[in-house]
Amino acid sequence: MIAKTSAEVGGMGHSLKRKEDLRFIRGKGNYVDDVNLPNMVYGHLVRSPYAHARLKSINIEKAKALPGVLAVITGEDLAKANLAWMPTLFFDKQMVLATGKVLFQSQEVAFVVAEDRYTAADAAELVDVEYEELPVLVDPHKSLDPSSPILRDDREQKSNHIFHWEVGDKQATDKAFQGADVKARVDAVFQRCHPAPLETCGCVADHNPATGRLTIYLTSQAPHAHRTLFALVGGIPENNIRVISPDIGGGFGNKVPIYPGYVCAVVASLTLGRPVKWIESRSENLQSTGFARDYHMTAELAASKDGKIQALRVKTLADHGAFNAAAQPTKFPAGLFSVCTGAYDYPSAFCEVDGVYTNKAPGGIAYRCSFRVTEAAYLIERAVDVLAQELKIDPADLRRKNFIAPSKFPYKSALGWTYDSGNYEPAMKLALDKVGYAELRKEQEEKRQKGELMGIGISSFVEIVGAGPSHTFDIAGIKMFDSCEIRIHPTGKGICRMGTKSQGQGHETTYAQIVAQELGIPAADITVEEGDTDTAPYGLGTYASRSTPVSGAATAMAARKIREKAKKIAAHLLECSEADLEWEPGKFFVKGTPSKTKTIQEIAFAAYTNHPQGMEAGLEAVDYYDPPNLTFPFGTYVCVVDIDKGTGEVKVRRFVAVDDCGNIINPMIVDGQVHGGLTEGLGIAFMQLIDYDENGNVQGGSFMDYLLPTAVETPHWETDKTCTPSPHHPFGAKGVGESPNVGSPAAFVNAVVDALSHLGVKHIDMPITPWKVWTILKEKGVVS
Amino acid sequence: MALRIEKTLKVNEPIEKVWAFLSDPRKVATCVPGAKITEQIDEKTYKGSISVKVGPIVTDYKGEIQIVRLDAANHEIELLGKGQDVRGRGSAAMNMTGKLRSDDRMTEMTSVSEVNVVGILAQMGARVITEVSNIMFGEFTKNFQAKLQHEDEAPSSGEGKPISATSLAWEAGKRLFHRDS
Repeated sequence: MIAKTSAEVGGMGHSLKRKEDLRFIRGKGNYVDDVNLPNMVYGHLVRSPYAHARLKSINIEKAKALPGVLAVITGEDLAKANLAWMPTLFFDKQMVLATGKVLFQSQEVAFVVAEDRYTAADAAELVDVEYEELPVLVDPHKSLDPSSPILRDDREQKSNHIFHWEVGDKQATDKAFQGADVKARVDAVFQRCHPAPLETCGCVADHNPATGRLTIYLTSQAPHAHRTLFALVGGIPENNIRVISPDIGGGFGNKVPIYPGYVCAVVASLTLGRPVKWIESRSENLQSTGFARDYHMTAELAASKDGKIQALRVKTLADHGAFNAAAQPTKFPAGLFSVCTGAYDYPSAFCEVDGVYTNKAPGGIAYRCSFRVTEAAYLIERAVDVLAQELKIDPADLRRKNFIAPSKFPYKSALGWTYDSGNYEPAMKLALDKVGYAELRKEQEEKRQKGELMGIGISSFVEIVGAGPSHTFDIAGIKMFDSCEIRIHPTGKGICRMGTKSQGQGHETTYAQIVAQELGIPAADITVEEGDTDTAPYGLGTYASRSTPVSGAATAMAARKIREKAKKIAAHLLECSEADLEWEPGKFFVKGTPSKTKTIQEIAFAAYTNHPQGMEAGLEAVDYYDPPNLTFPFGTYVCVVDIDKGTGEVKVRRFVAVDDCGNIINPMIVDGQVHGGLTEGLGIAFMQLIDYDENGNVQGGSFMDYLLPTAVETPHWETDKTCTPSPHHPFGAKGVGESPNVGSPAAFVNAVVDALSHLGVKHIDMPITPWKVWTILKEKGVVS
Repeated sequence: MALRIEKTLKVNEPIEKVWAFLSDPRKVATCVPGAKITEQIDEKTYKGSISVKVGPIVTDYKGEIQIVRLDAANHEIELLGKGQDVRGRGSAAMNMTGKLRSDDRMTEMTSVSEVNVVGILAQMGARVITEVSNIMFGEFTKNFQAKLQHEDEAPSSGEGKPISATSLAWEAGKRLFHRDS
């Protein structure tokens, strides 16, 4: 357990109100679109209406002639600077502006720059592009069909196949299946969805011809990594690039990649010598920037008659769209999908994934998820329910029977991960007790007698977050450490600068609480600054729930370095040896003589006014933390649904979420994260799909079709916690931001399938719309 | 998106009179809401435009219409139309066959249209496009009957006006909710 500091200090475990909210709730946030520079001009992208077409000609004369238009940039122009293509974050390249052909609807074709936004938008309509339509490929199952068109004629490999990846012991797994009493199989699609952050993507690129410096205000979850990529790809000296991520209105993985609009704005600013702003519309964001998921999965479980799982076999087809623009660690083409063995203990597993191209927007990014963990958790939690149905065992009993025992941690999974710690059964018990599981099962039985439909869904998920140890994890070659620099000022206040970047997670509060915990300086006295690459130490940014596991750890380590120095100063001030000193948050005192004390504030003052001879002045430290392992948060979610037979509408009656993210920094912020992630999970499970028609027209490209849950649809979330600290993290934390999005889809779907299981329903693909449910009820003869 | 629209209408005119009208794209275009023929290229090819409004989406297609088959003996016509939105936001193509049949003193026209839409109209309007085409056909029928009746009176020079966006969306909405299924 972590010792609790006073409310005034506000260290770990205190529900401090979020410092950043003072400006957000007053409309004083500073987002990219709030950045207005003198002499600034505006960019607008011309986009392809076709999903697959050859570019025959682009005529920009009419657009250029419109008063106020300053430049029209095409792919051919960029090609001259060798910038028509740019590398993606995953061994592929993507067109900045199209040359030769377009590969998805809404692909970027030209960039118009004008004195104001309206003129830029009007001029974009005047760019006359002549296309020749080509056959369109939208179904990933047909990507490898010989009759399908080859989409990427720029590649040497004349095929739509991107990669094959496999992990595990195939032979042992196949053998386990041959001898198994029971086999269960589920074919599940985790549909293409989109993070849809409230703030779309955008930037202001400001190249100053006098100084040669390029400042980019960017909606970036990873400002340092983006600076390096701009330097490597654009050939601009890295010291001449400053990336500033101001306030970010939600990212969820959508703001990890570099998008063509950013590059165009930079090129335009370099060309014109003026600041260029480019801001996406909502539809542009939904139709062209990083989508998530689109995993077409099959899972099979082999088990004994009494319900002991023996093996897992997974085969998956990954639709990456026109370019493999996945943002994930280099060694993992399918991210951390191999955590799909879940919370269960069995010796054999085999998992294979094939990635393919289609005429769709490029991706897929990790939407509030550590690289395909959401797909993995959904798959195993669905498969376990199907097995329970097959065995006619209660799904809670089946889970209990197969959970990894607490004594087995650290646990090496069949697919090679070492789970740091876990205690799954108590989390499930708490959730089941809280929801009143036994009574609900009785009620369900009674309701079925009366022909009413209700269901209970359980999801006992395991996450893998906090990428990651540098021996295994890098993005585009840069190791996935992260950093914190702390400077304590003479008056005992301080500033933390971070390699991460909050997009709403509350970093300005939580990092300050870590410092408060470690040094006893009130969290209110610590300023947290992120997002300016000129001032912050290098880091890989915020996604994959890595801020607390990696940068949070760096904060604690940097604070401990400061404490070590403070101890030396205290010994000097108290005229004793360091060995005679004892620490309690906020002060050193002489052992046995508590009156001989120096507070951290007194020590800080001395660091600048009266430091020991031979010691460097000041009180500051920086830490680059390289985690020894990932962390494995977990939990059990239970969802209760009622189904309206007349309309097919599913109503979530109750939702109990028990999370275990180890030691908690700020319980209120953890609850807020859980509420937000569950609400996103609700949207995914019941409402959201980026679909395409046979011509590749996006059928989810606006909020008319791509629905976000509002307060009306969102049920009351009941949250609770168990606490199993991470043994390797400096203060035992694991990260929580993604758990609710990772764990909840299976709970929702399991609940709906459970409500219909007596009718022989085994699986329903998301989004579970009223129409889908009603169609099933009609097929099953429940309604006429 | 691809859709197939089959329609039948009856007019109180003799078949030869209807055929004379139907086999002339310049005349037919005057009945289609928002459409006009701007130029005749050769005997079988015309240039024209059509404006379609669905809710907030306005698409102005400019393109060609071609008579693929003209069978006067059987009163059958096949037209191929292709157009691109003038603002570069998509395209539409239509293959329509029309057939006339004499029914007592009336003439029955059956048309089958295969329409393929790419771009913003297909994105935004997919859910209402069938209803929109129904409304457009309703307008066409009215115009067609009226023009045929008044053909003898004065040569028509006017062009069809696109129906207003609001009324179209409203009508489409009403029909969606009153559909039997």
